[in-house]
Amino acid sequence: MTNFNTIKNICKKLGENNKPTYVVMSIAAVKGICRPTFTMMDKKEKPETKKYTALREGLTEVIAIPVYWGCGEMAAKFGKYVVSKAMDKKLAALEAKGEKYTPEVKEAMKKASIKKGQTGLMFIGVCTAALFVIPAVCSLVIKPIMNAIGLKAPDDNKKAQSNDKKLDITEGQKEEQPVKQIQTVQVPQALQQPIKPIEKPQMQTLFKGSASGMKVGGL
Amino acid sequence: MISAISKVITNPTLVSVAQNTNASVASETVLKSVGRPGFILIDKDIDPATKKYAAAKEFLYQATCLAIYMALVGPVFKNGAFKLAKKYIYKGTEGFDKFKGLNEYLAYHKLADKTLTNRTASLTKDHSIYKFDHDGLREDLMTKEKPNMYPHIKGAIELGSTIGSVLGLAILAPQVSHAFIHPALKFLGLEEKKSKPVDAVQSQPQQAQTAKVNEEAKQVDTKA
Repeated sequence: MTNFNTIKNICKKLGENNKPTYVVMSIAAVKGICRPTFTMMDKKEKPETKKYTALREGLTEVIAIPVYWGCGEMAAKFGKYVVSKAMDKKLAALEAKGEKYTPEVKEAMKKASIKKGQTGLMFIGVCTAALFVIPAVCSLVIKPIMNAIGLKAPDDNKKAQSNDKKLDITEGQKEEQPVKQIQTVQVPQALQQPIKPIEKPQMQTLFKGSASGMKVGGL
Repeated sequence: MISAISKVITNPTLVSVAQNTNASVASETVLKSVGRPGFILIDKDIDPATKKYAAAKEFLYQATCLAIYMALVGPVFKNGAFKLAKKYIYKGTEGFDKFKGLNEYLAYHKLADKTLTNRTASLTKDHSIYKFDHDGLREDLMTKEKPNMYPHIKGAIELGSTIGSVLGLAILAPQVSHAFIHPALKFLGLEEKKSKPVDAVQSQPQQAQTAKVNEEAKQVDTKA
């Protein structure tokens, strides 16, 4: 029964005031757990690549959650300001035409419009966050964090290795290294014989046993 | 300027979409499916082939998410949440017992959101004469300025949609898209099919023959 009371309270709150930020933050939170888990469970990838990818995915969703909330709330505050100003102008114009409203009615009309405006602009804020703000923040923040942790992208590792090789060849050549002289060894006359090239065994000579001197069966 | 912005953001359609989990997630997915590939294609730092591949992959992923979402969340989770709430959570509570199903409640909620004038005009049309004519629903809609919206029913439906959205987009969509995207990209010609190297295939019999000859040569050497 306690569990149902909690669910009933959640249902009542969602029914009265469902914000667009709730569902996107929930999706981002679950993605932040599931995506890295699925990545680490992949057996086809190298461990280093898996670690890098999983951490990157986790960081993306960790960044996404506060950005969605922040953009939604900022948009809602701006919406409140805009609608409030617009309603003041509208009510002033209606009163100038001869319409009369009590302060309670004016307050109720203003409150209803502000709630609509906040919800509408919050939705626009969440869409803006998904399309522009989150990709921008991720591109600024993720790489420095990964570098600080000490994890580099697999492509960066390969580039670093190839750069190191190039450095070995091109740099440090200012000092002239002494060239090692190869000492010639004098071979005794008896061993100075022309070196015959090694003959590859041919199908016909193997069985005939002629050129190389090999005999089939030792005879 | 402020009045124009206020008109846009207080538009009933926009507010309705923003407060409806199903509609807002579907709208965001459609925007992402157009916006993200668009940003990839206008990026000048990537080469054209990579841009096409990345944009196509992103579009296919978002399209898969949308298809799963529309097929799964509405029919399964919204309906399921309404029935679960009616049968177990809110058993015997006023509200759920007045509506036969999810669609009837959603139609009632849509009308209750309108002004009294518009509501009365809709309900007096020929095809709506017998609509909601039970449990005092029609009377509420025709007479009251602000009829009962039954927020707990709406909340149960939204909770079901949220759970469905999370399961569909965070868990199911990545797995389904993984199985579907690569074949689709190969079909579009943006991803090359993996084929065995031609030289290795052709020289296999030759290699076997040479190995056999070498083995025979070794046997001859030892015997000699």
